[in-house]
Amino acid sequence: MKNNLRTTESGTLVCLFRQSNHSAPGRSFLKILLYMKFTLLLLCLSFLQSYGKVFSQDIPVSLNMKNSNISRVLSKIEKKTDYRFLYNVKEIGEAEKVDARFENVKLEDVLNHLMAHTGLSYTLLSDKLIVIAPKNKELFIHEVSGTVTDSSGNPLVGVSIHVKGTSLGAVTDANGNFTLQVEDSAVLVVSYLGFQTKEISVGDQTNLEITLSSASTELNQVVVVGYGTQRKIDVTGAVGQVNGEDISKQASVNAASALQGKVAGVTVINSGSPGSSPQVNIRGVGTVYGSSNPLYIVDGVWYNDISFLNPQDIASMSVLKDASSQSIYGIRAANGVILITTKKGKEGELTINYNGYVGFQQATNKVNMANAQQYASLLNQKLDSTVIDPGIDHSTNWYDVILQPALVHSHEISARGGTEKGTYSLSLGYLDQEGIVKGNDYQRITGRFSNDWQLKPALKIGYNLTMYGFQSDDIPMSAVYQSYVAPPVVPVKNPDGSYGDAADYPTGNFSNPQATLDFYNQITKGVRLTGNVYLDLHFLQHFTFHTSFGGEYGENEIRNYAPAYNATSVQHRDVSVLTKRRDETRNWIVENTLTYDNTFDDAHHLKVLIGQTAQRYKNGFITGTAENVPGEDEGQFYLDLGDIDTRTVDDGGDLFTTMSYFGRINYSYADRYLFMFSMRADGSSKFPPGNRWGYFPAVGAGWVISGESFMQNQNIFDFLKLRGSWGKIGNASIPTNITNVLINNQPQFTAIFGADQLPHTGASITALVPPTLVWERGVGTNVGLEMQFLDSRLHFTTNFYNRETKHAIFDIQIPETLGTSPNSLLGNNADFLNRGFEFILGWQNDASKKFHYSLNGNFSINHNEVRSISTGDVPLYSGALPVGGFFTTRTVTGQPIGQFYGLVVDGIFQDADEIAQSVQPNAQPGDFKYKDVNEDGTINDKDRVVLGNAHPKYTYGLSTYWQYGNFDLQVDFQGVFGVDIYNGNTNTRYGNENYTEQFYKKRWHGPGTSNTYPAPRLNGENLKPNSWYVWDGSYFRIRNIQLGYTLPESLLSRWNMKQVRFYINAQNPFNFFSYNGFSPEIGAPSSGANKGNPTDAGIDRQVYPMYATYNFGVNISF
Amino acid sequence: MNIKYNKNNWFPAGFKSSLILVLVALQFSCNNFLDVEPQGQEPSRTFFQSEDDAMKAVNAMYANLHAWNIIAMAPLAVEGMTSGDVDKGSDAGDVAYLNNFIRFTVSSTSGQVNAYWTGKYQEINLCNQVLDSVPQIDMKEDLKARLLAEAKFIRAYSYFKLVRAFGGVPLRLHTINPDNTSAYNIPRTSKDSVYMQIEKDLTEAAGVLPEQYGAADLGRVTKGAALALHAKVELYLENWDQAYALSKQVIDLGIYHLFPNYEQQFRIQNENNSGSVFEIQCGIVPGNGAASNSQYAQIRGPRAIPAPYNGWGVGVPNQHLMDSYEEGDPRLDASILFKGETTPEGDLIPESATNPRYIQKTYIPFGTRDKYAQYTYGAQQNKRVIRYAEVLLINAEAANELGNSQEALTNLNKVRERARGDNTNVLPDITETGKEALRKIIWHERHVELALEGDHFFDLVRQGRAAEVLGPQGFTTGKNEVMPIPQQEIDNSGGILTQNPGYN
Repeated sequence: MKNNLRTTESGTLVCLFRQSNHSAPGRSFLKILLYMKFTLLLLCLSFLQSYGKVFSQDIPVSLNMKNSNISRVLSKIEKKTDYRFLYNVKEIGEAEKVDARFENVKLEDVLNHLMAHTGLSYTLLSDKLIVIAPKNKELFIHEVSGTVTDSSGNPLVGVSIHVKGTSLGAVTDANGNFTLQVEDSAVLVVSYLGFQTKEISVGDQTNLEITLSSASTELNQVVVVGYGTQRKIDVTGAVGQVNGEDISKQASVNAASALQGKVAGVTVINSGSPGSSPQVNIRGVGTVYGSSNPLYIVDGVWYNDISFLNPQDIASMSVLKDASSQSIYGIRAANGVILITTKKGKEGELTINYNGYVGFQQATNKVNMANAQQYASLLNQKLDSTVIDPGIDHSTNWYDVILQPALVHSHEISARGGTEKGTYSLSLGYLDQEGIVKGNDYQRITGRFSNDWQLKPALKIGYNLTMYGFQSDDIPMSAVYQSYVAPPVVPVKNPDGSYGDAADYPTGNFSNPQATLDFYNQITKGVRLTGNVYLDLHFLQHFTFHTSFGGEYGENEIRNYAPAYNATSVQHRDVSVLTKRRDETRNWIVENTLTYDNTFDDAHHLKVLIGQTAQRYKNGFITGTAENVPGEDEGQFYLDLGDIDTRTVDDGGDLFTTMSYFGRINYSYADRYLFMFSMRADGSSKFPPGNRWGYFPAVGAGWVISGESFMQNQNIFDFLKLRGSWGKIGNASIPTNITNVLINNQPQFTAIFGADQLPHTGASITALVPPTLVWERGVGTNVGLEMQFLDSRLHFTTNFYNRETKHAIFDIQIPETLGTSPNSLLGNNADFLNRGFEFILGWQNDASKKFHYSLNGNFSINHNEVRSISTGDVPLYSGALPVGGFFTTRTVTGQPIGQFYGLVVDGIFQDADEIAQSVQPNAQPGDFKYKDVNEDGTINDKDRVVLGNAHPKYTYGLSTYWQYGNFDLQVDFQGVFGVDIYNGNTNTRYGNENYTEQFYKKRWHGPGTSNTYPAPRLNGENLKPNSWYVWDGSYFRIRNIQLGYTLPESLLSRWNMKQVRFYINAQNPFNFFSYNGFSPEIGAPSSGANKGNPTDAGIDRQVYPMYATYNFGVNISF
Repeated sequence: MNIKYNKNNWFPAGFKSSLILVLVALQFSCNNFLDVEPQGQEPSRTFFQSEDDAMKAVNAMYANLHAWNIIAMAPLAVEGMTSGDVDKGSDAGDVAYLNNFIRFTVSSTSGQVNAYWTGKYQEINLCNQVLDSVPQIDMKEDLKARLLAEAKFIRAYSYFKLVRAFGGVPLRLHTINPDNTSAYNIPRTSKDSVYMQIEKDLTEAAGVLPEQYGAADLGRVTKGAALALHAKVELYLENWDQAYALSKQVIDLGIYHLFPNYEQQFRIQNENNSGSVFEIQCGIVPGNGAASNSQYAQIRGPRAIPAPYNGWGVGVPNQHLMDSYEEGDPRLDASILFKGETTPEGDLIPESATNPRYIQKTYIPFGTRDKYAQYTYGAQQNKRVIRYAEVLLINAEAANELGNSQEALTNLNKVRERARGDNTNVLPDITETGKEALRKIIWHERHVELALEGDHFFDLVRQGRAAEVLGPQGFTTGKNEVMPIPQQEIDNSGGILTQNPGYN
């Protein structure tokens, strides 16, 4: 129950208004039978200014009440006249009951009659206001005035001062001043949003200097939780929230990137290609089969990806981190849930905003590759002959050839506003982004519209609609890999204009990356329409029924034209091929919730939610190809123009449904004791009928210790809260109908027989399907402690969490002798846990006129441990690399999942003597010297040990904000440590792939030259997984620097503008790490057979550089 | 708490009942709502029901024989690079992992060893699918018996390749029920037991398979193929009686004849000729690139000649092989494509080619290439698995071991006669009747007749000459007779699979 404040236009008076509760025993409120109307406030004003009035009107009153409580009689009078009464319930309650039978009697006479029969008297205070008080009570009222300031002495405007136990009060004016008429015994309650409430006994003071200390605004914040909102103080789980302002400040292309370093326990791994979404992990590796992304819920509609959303449209993002908060989304909560609310119109005049930025992205922390001369030396050393003249006079830096500084500009304009009857919000956004690889670009248009109508006081309807269209010129990602391996001795083009060909040098089957880019012609276009309509109905005072229907319609088209060309000996095509693929998505979600919200006795707050949802996901694609399409211009890219006998068509699709019921009870007592219970039941069509339903309960409890009376006399804690929660969550992100054994009728199975070599279609069963698959469950507990100190300027939160993932679903490799393809089996393959602590520490100084700053840091420790695996004592091996296909990780009970596992490098063999004395008689100088761990005189698989852990142990972030006058500066840092990376690129060697410059400089090239890096001859035993390939994956990054300047108001008011702010911004400008690859952010594979598999995490197979972004932007509102 | 609504009793008539209706309706539809038919996927329960299904499963089994792991790099590495007859080829430093096969430094983490192993077992699974499921199908019994016999042949062929390369291997004769997790990991079956199963499958296959097919079914395995492979198996087991008897049965079928021109028997237009007992059928299916993807010829094709006629040039004949031929043996030039040579088809292999020599047995004339330029280079080239010449040589070798040198000489000289062609000055008939001397001569003849076709390494091992011939390359007796078991298989088995001696 909150006080509602309204100020008069003069700003000097306020009436405070509490809903009375007659049944509250022992509570005494001066009841005001007033509703919030300005007219009545004015009455108060006049009452205080002119004491003692006479009845201005003589309205006849008729009543017929017998043995009634006097308050009921007064209430009846209020309904029949314009007069209002002020009285103290307690005092009136002591008065005896009265009979009130009047027929057209003047009010004055009625009152005289009533007072005569009770111990009460009345005083007419103003034209329409009558005070009722015991007869013997005399009012000693005097005027008190004062000033309210913050701790730095700045006056606070609009502070509410009210007389405790009454409805009387005032608010401070522009100078922080107020004036009140009070009794000597009055206690003033001084409250102001964002500051701690203070009580002052007036006594005979007439002038008060009141200083308020700031309270953490966080406590007053409302956070978005599943199917509703909660005051932050009421939350029993772990929820991190980032507001829209923080997101829009970052000039991010994808909103999810903005979470990096902002919320403890959230790891964001950015992808370098434009338009793609980052990978987001919440509190370590959860389970990631199928979709490695958390569930995004935008205004109630579920998404796997939010690349369609313009970050500027976001009002807030809530990260549900613990199982109890997530559990209400049972089925899809396994990777965490991110709730996004979009900006809505607000009651008030139209506000138009323009946000725009222009900038560029540039590859950073590039790995220097060996140049032609270095490459020649390496190759000659490897092959022990002069294959390439080390004095070669040209060199190609392939990364420089294919990379470019990429221009990005974004514009967003929005109009928002509304009235009591309805609000509106319109926004249009345009993004044009080049990729850092030449030829790659992405354009996005977003339009977002929402309207809400208060049709009736109890009925509200509205909709949100997002339209999104994009087009991209694609590049083959292979060009980046080709740049990594292509020999630098090959020129981009020869003097005669032809493409440089590795065959001329001769070094192997290497593609010319430039030719790859030049002859790649693919455009992807897409449109998507998504949103929802909703209806809110309030009834029976405490109930709200909410129904929402949301959906998504999307269409993508990929047009790829592979021309006939002849660039190099390995890059040529005799016949052009046009491929067109069209994808269609049609999803819908319907959701009904019923909420009961009530407060009893002003202390027991109960909120009950029940709900039901159903969802249907359908997508499909159709692909057609044709050869010999002319392809001179876009207008010719029709399959129809191709050779008729070469046309092929292929299609596929997926359909699944889910059905869910859920409920939640929140109960709190006196804002001190908090309790939550929720339950969700999910049915998914993906599971076989017997295993279809999963049940996901959660409980939570909290204790606001600082609210206890015994805490009132201490000065250390301004706020102290202990909370704990437990919940279950599930994962249904598995392929549809996974347990169906399917027929493999792949085209490769077409046999050829007969003299005429005629094709004969073939089919067989090649995959092994899991016999049964049960719901994967996460079971999590979270214990949190929230504290505030030093006038709430310092806040500290710590969470301990323990989350067990049970029956985790992922692929494991099965023996090749089973002959299956793929040679993996999906199953409930492991139980593992993530356990850890999060620490969040924030400091903000008192806001003063000119200088303001805040610091917010977070630090997380995560421990990952496998509890059991499906193969029992047999370890799970994974992380196979392209060359050799051998395993680099091992998963065993009691250890982190997917640990790097291999031999230990104990130096480099320098000469034959050393080899002769070793246990590796077949080695050559320059090879790895392995440690004979079990000392059995030979190096074999028994000598393998744990080499590292792919899952970050420590993650941290620090955000700092500085404001001086009109300048603002934000600097964010972020990092991880306690993580290792397996550099899978170093040993992906088929032949004469290029090396890094670092390898060239550090390699062994003769006795005594290196005991750390081997000779360039990386094959055979040197390729066995070993400690040399494992690197420390720690990094520290300055994630964001932003300097802003807001034009002074004096200037703006002249132009009739609300705000104009300019900023310059640099994202990821400085990255510090010791890893020798391109980026230390690896994670689990984002594509391929082992996509999202936690046993395959941290293995670097990508050679795409990181990038930094530099922007200049402007925010304008008027 | 919304004061706003305190005084408001606005409430749509019948609201409560309509809410209940909505919820009830949703409840009611719930169970049907979750029953979703698989999209675009045919559940297996509809498979192995008809004759057509049986045919398809057998087709898949044949088609998979030209998969990358079965026909391309892995067999070239395991069977070819170890023969002592080839250099790595390609550019210096390219496909460097093949050097480990040449130098016998291959380790258990070799990708090619793993591919060899995997490819064979994938093929065996396709055979086991047929053998487990086709018997239950209601179809023409004679066709059913034939299809099962075809599957037994291909399973035996795959196990033969495995047992030759690895020694004893896990013997899987049935598809597994995924519930039966104990069947996932099975230990190695002894070499003898694997051979016994191969013999059993081939005996059964030979008893059913037809001697010949109609034109439409050309390319399927025949009785002759089963007998010939069986004879070859017995040769490797040195069961001379059986090797002799089985090869004799093939000869006595009277349907095989040596193709007159040694060089031309390998060309595409001469596929499935009467001198070829079994070939893996490769071809181009217009519009089906995935089926037109055999890289058997591509990886062996001459390198750095004008596109699109160029191959990868891997596994190039070396001087040792050149020296193995008798003076004037036309098979030298017929088997090896030299840089600067103009082929009988008139194609010039330019001096710009990377390597001095290439394998000619898989040579794709440029004209053949033009026809299907958009498909994998050389995808039409069938792989000759067993040629009649080999049957004659098996018979000769067995006859000699059994003391029948005269019969041995008859068949041996048939092979030499064909090789000689019209040049009567070379490859004179052999007249040696001494068992020991004749054995060496037959070994030599087998080497040059079947050069670069994938048996020579295993012949050297069988003949006990591997250390002598391959020792300088790095061959270690007691170790390199077999390949290492792939480390990932050992890892996956939790140690149930054991490594071959000498490997780590």
